[in-house]
Amino acid sequence: MDIPMFPVNDFGPAMKGMIIGGLGILHVFLAQFAIGGGMMMCYFEWLSQTGRVPFARQFVDGYFKLLVLVSFVVGAVTGVGMWFTSIQISPRTIGTMVQEFHWLWAVEWTFFTLEVVSGYCFYRCGPQLPDTIRLRLLAIYSTAAWGSLFWINGILSWQLTPGSYFATHSVWDGFFNPSFWPSLIFRTISSMTIAALVACVVLNFVTRFDREQRVVLQHRAVRFLIPMVAMPALAVWYFLVLPVDSREWVLGGSVVMSMFFALGAACSLLIGAYAVAVMFTQGLYLNGATAALLASLAFLATAGGEFVREGVRKPYTIRQYLYSNSITQDEVAYLREVGCLNIDPWPVEDPDTYPTDDLRRGAHVFRIQCSICHTIDGANGLVHLAGKWTPMQLRLNIAQLQRTKPFMPPFAGTAEEVDWLSEWIAWQSAGRPSDWDRNPNAPTLAQVDEWLDEVGTTPGIELPEQPQEAGR
Amino acid sequence: MNTLFPGGFPLPTAFYLTLYVLTLALHVVFMNYVLAGSAYVMCSVWRARRSLIREGAAVNDDQLARTITDWLPLMLSLAITAGIAPLLFIQILYRVRFYTANLLLFHRWMAILPVLIAGFYLLYLLKKVRTSERPWLPRLTTMAILGCFGFVGWSWTENHLLSLESQAVWTRQYVRHSLFFNSPELWPRLLTWLCGSFAHMAIILMWQWRWGTLPVDSDITAMQTMRRLSTIALGGLTCAVGTGLWYVSTLPTLERGLLMSPLAGPWFAVACTGVAVQVLGWVIGRRAGRPKLSTLIPLTTGGLLTIVGVAVVRESLRLSRVDISTLYEAHASAYTIDGFAAFVAFAVLSGLLVAWCLKATVRGAGSWSGALRSQFGLKVPIASQHVSRYCERRTLMR
Repeated sequence: MDIPMFPVNDFGPAMKGMIIGGLGILHVFLAQFAIGGGMMMCYFEWLSQTGRVPFARQFVDGYFKLLVLVSFVVGAVTGVGMWFTSIQISPRTIGTMVQEFHWLWAVEWTFFTLEVVSGYCFYRCGPQLPDTIRLRLLAIYSTAAWGSLFWINGILSWQLTPGSYFATHSVWDGFFNPSFWPSLIFRTISSMTIAALVACVVLNFVTRFDREQRVVLQHRAVRFLIPMVAMPALAVWYFLVLPVDSREWVLGGSVVMSMFFALGAACSLLIGAYAVAVMFTQGLYLNGATAALLASLAFLATAGGEFVREGVRKPYTIRQYLYSNSITQDEVAYLREVGCLNIDPWPVEDPDTYPTDDLRRGAHVFRIQCSICHTIDGANGLVHLAGKWTPMQLRLNIAQLQRTKPFMPPFAGTAEEVDWLSEWIAWQSAGRPSDWDRNPNAPTLAQVDEWLDEVGTTPGIELPEQPQEAGR
Repeated sequence: MNTLFPGGFPLPTAFYLTLYVLTLALHVVFMNYVLAGSAYVMCSVWRARRSLIREGAAVNDDQLARTITDWLPLMLSLAITAGIAPLLFIQILYRVRFYTANLLLFHRWMAILPVLIAGFYLLYLLKKVRTSERPWLPRLTTMAILGCFGFVGWSWTENHLLSLESQAVWTRQYVRHSLFFNSPELWPRLLTWLCGSFAHMAIILMWQWRWGTLPVDSDITAMQTMRRLSTIALGGLTCAVGTGLWYVSTLPTLERGLLMSPLAGPWFAVACTGVAVQVLGWVIGRRAGRPKLSTLIPLTTGGLLTIVGVAVVRESLRLSRVDISTLYEAHASAYTIDGFAAFVAFAVLSGLLVAWCLKATVRGAGSWSGALRSQFGLKVPIASQHVSRYCERRTLMR
């Protein structure tokens, strides 16, 4: 069995998920701003051209510059950055996604190209163009931006709900997966919300409008928040298509996920409530501070939503296929036989810092199987989580990892590797002493083997009945 | 290795290799403009200061630098956008090698993202810089811009070279925690890219001149512009040939022989022909005084031949170091995956819409020379203001 192994990097006290999550949240927020911003510009241009709000045109030209400066620069570069960061965190995951969906990714690229060209045409020549062309350019820009979301959404949602993909191996079955539509509509509404709130912030800094004009423009922008009323229904729809275990984690099974979900929901609720107040109170004006606060809440809601979306995939990065530690379901059984250390060509860094070979091997096992989600003593550190466990507890819980926590993958190694990892955790928890003897109370390898056999190699969560072929 | 590229490989591998090379060539067109443009603008700003003493030279530098400065953000955006496609195909072709090199360079590699963002914003800043108030600012800004894009180019070259190495070299790199990878090929290779980029930028500027986005007001200025562009191009080509020879000298003998092999030899000849055509085009066109199509078409053809030829030779060198036969199965698997028809359909649709956007913008704004030139007029130039304001002061002082 050819299992690709990569030189894993250490991010110190930061969890790898924090790195990709941080960049991901920023990118999603900016990308959604670009999508919603395009739609809003279309709407404002139409308002101006139909005479409903004649001065909206000036706002379009100014707001579009901001759109270009933010989304074309940071948005575009962080988009590429997501690829690079994914490679740093889980090269096998991004490799599988690229392999399986490369043509759809290429389609997304054609939309992005169109977005850039139409956007720049408007940016450069917009003020000199006749009305018809202005509106058409904006329509093309916003359609291309939304199209980009359409394609990427299918690939991302496939990670969580692959649907019948692993049975049929059809790209389209994977793309139009169960969470595709609720996720797409949800993201579209989020985009509109972000665009509206940023517009309210920007309006406070545009000196060419008087207060009355700003109120008019703000009230028009706030209309983009109306679709938020559909969010609760969409959330229910999304929950219904989620795998049962994922849903349970959000609804209390994992307190962190529940809290992030609650954060997203609460922020959305606050934004919605304020929007209602603005819409039904003629003359109510959102000053810069309030608008910025609401935009910040939208950022927090995005962060909460993205965290939950990433979190509920556990123990997988690609559900039913690839575990979060980049080992497939099929490979777990194989690695139980041959051991994970035997297939990794990358040596342990700083091997001389370990007093015994077993500890060095334990560090190696940690790097292969645990370091994707855990640090040693930083965020989600093993010393904090398992440092006080007895030798028996350590070995049992590691051997039967998927029962210890169902959102963890099964241990993919031999009994000896369980033993080495346990010793290494105990050594780290003891403050890395220079002298270290094997713990006398440790259970025998035969006992660990028994525990491994007892739990098997299947995940701790319930999977639907269907063939589970390995990816290509 | 004994058949002309991309022949000799199974169909799926040849297919992805072709797509990779073609999309890389497209990316290189825009990348060259950004790289050479940043260097040119920086030189122009520094030259403007010296022209203080020489009193008012560099009228042409002015126009060129203004135009380049104005177009750099768009060109960078297009370079990034066009760069996504080869980035996609390289992951299909050499997944493990590419990912391994990324991981080994770690923070250093990831640094290209903030550096690219900083360079991008500095380009916008450069358009707004008022040289008269703070003359050091444009100089600092242009240096920082070139530094940013130079860093990105350097990182890519290092990444590429590292990806070609063996497991033993990778393991050494990993154990050492080194964020840099030194190779004798690094600098000659990077310099060849940089020098060659000037010639391609000059060709694009010729087209911009023809389309009116490079404003040239009089016959005298036209002659000066033509001379300046041909000097940039010929100088760039000469240096690229020199650094190219240096690069070849760093290659192992076996790989040097690859340049004459059936795989890459004809493509190397194509690249050389492209250089020769460009040299001839510039030498003849230098006297023309305006960007005639009869000059532009051979120049553009030569430029494209060079880019595609060099891209294929680059790929052939990689193929000589990598056992690609171990990847045939993965390529064949990728080849069977659905979605190509959708890609072609949407690529055509997007292409048509892109064409419409450009056409409608040109038509709607009057013409490139009308709409865009007026835009240039509104922009605050960098080198031009720098030069002209100092010259004005000197005149007044006299």
